[in-house]
Amino acid sequence: MSVAQRVAVSWHSVTVMERNLDELVSEARSAGPRSQRAAARLMSVMTDQPHRLAELLAGSRDWPQPRLVLGVTGAPGSGKSTLTDHLVAELRTRHPHSKIGIVAVDPSSPFTGGALLGDRVRMMRHATDPQVFIRSLASRGHLGGLALGAKGVVRVMGLIGCDVVVIETVGVGQSEVEIAQNADLVVVVLAPGQGDSIQLLKAGLMEAGDVFVVNKSDKPDALQLQRELATMLERSRIARLDLAHPSAVPLACHGPQLVGPEGPIDMQRDRPPPAVRTVWDDDTPQVFFCSAANHEGIKELAAALEQMTHSHAAQWQARRRRQAAAEIRHAVLEEVQRRVTAALQQNGNEELIEGILAGEISLDQLADHLMRESVSRSQTSPLSVDAS
Amino acid sequence: MEQPPKPRLLIGKPGLDGHDRGAKYVAQILRDAGFEVVYTGIRRSPEQIVDTAIQEDVAAIGLSLLSGAHNALFGRVLELLRSRGAEDILVFGGGTIPPKDVPRLKEMGVAAVFTPGTPARQIVETIEGLLVQRQTA
Repeated sequence: MSVAQRVAVSWHSVTVMERNLDELVSEARSAGPRSQRAAARLMSVMTDQPHRLAELLAGSRDWPQPRLVLGVTGAPGSGKSTLTDHLVAELRTRHPHSKIGIVAVDPSSPFTGGALLGDRVRMMRHATDPQVFIRSLASRGHLGGLALGAKGVVRVMGLIGCDVVVIETVGVGQSEVEIAQNADLVVVVLAPGQGDSIQLLKAGLMEAGDVFVVNKSDKPDALQLQRELATMLERSRIARLDLAHPSAVPLACHGPQLVGPEGPIDMQRDRPPPAVRTVWDDDTPQVFFCSAANHEGIKELAAALEQMTHSHAAQWQARRRRQAAAEIRHAVLEEVQRRVTAALQQNGNEELIEGILAGEISLDQLADHLMRESVSRSQTSPLSVDAS
Repeated sequence: MEQPPKPRLLIGKPGLDGHDRGAKYVAQILRDAGFEVVYTGIRRSPEQIVDTAIQEDVAAIGLSLLSGAHNALFGRVLELLRSRGAEDILVFGGGTIPPKDVPRLKEMGVAAVFTPGTPARQIVETIEGLLVQRQTA
């Protein structure tokens, strides 16, 4: 056990005992001077006790929820933190009385477990603003671009009255799109110099965006990226219409005009002057051309996000329901993993492992056995649903 | 495998000097020692640092200073922590601090002062020792 782990153990055992959850919740909810501290502690409970996460999330069901949970994702260095900083500044100007939360995730080292949480460096102007609560999280080995407790932290931000919560993911590659299950609206931030149009054709990240930002618009290649992205989105749109078409009837092409199931597809409609904003129809993500560091394009982006908050509310309710289902599945898997790991470490099970090595037991049999053993060792009272 | 969470630390530079080599180096060695380190960057006010420490629920704050204003700025951070009911957050410091000022800083409540040339291992072990001490006190 490393020294840091030893420190961690003593830290853990003391703090957990002293933290009376209900007390923290009511203190965080109050407008008193200790509310920030209590909220921060509550967030630590959410992130530090993964085995209690399901229980904590269930207990937080009745807390007020943020009106909008906005995800900001993209590659490392694409400008997510700077965009978040400027977007929050813009929202603060538009709604001086609303509270905003920021959850900023940075990676944990897979080698040492340590982390350098540096997203705040770009957001220090909000540090002393009582209406903005910023929390940095380390991913702690969780793949997918978020941290395991991120959802819990968002709940606490709802509890303390945050109207909008912005979740900034770790710098992602192509497949870390967990943010799509955790946000109402996902902004994908792209910057020039990250590859050609083939990168835009790949599955994963590019499918997760509800809104795209071409950031660093002052860089020379930004216009090229904007064009490639526009082409990609137009291709996606035509593919979507084409796939929705009855199979016997091909998407008709009359000279310069494509005809889809809802009539002609006007290729020229809203074709951008490439400044600031591109949009074709309601189902195609909007594209914003921004230089976040210079606050360019941010006003337009904020306005569009707000407009979407109003127009998509019903759709988001459905999305949140789906997210709840995913949350349950996730909590169950986490619990199973925990119990199976514990069962494997129990005395007596060495024989089983020896059996596997000797080829006397099949892996399937052992897996079956462990799952039965883990499930039968139920730790909580059976679930009852009140019929009334 | 379930691992207990590690204490979170904050490394910040209050005041007006922009020499962040030391702060970044200490942030890195603490990161490599397995801590989660919130880094605030240069030229921060004591208010920004204390508000950040509270929101981030850190166990300790490390202040790096090369401007000579350590007595005033460390004192202000400690004062703000007390006024926010967060005096349990440890404060340590480093930078070009004359040895004659160290006793006074410790008297004010700074838990440790690391001057240039302090070995990395000593910094990590001192901080770990202080955290264990604080938790079992």
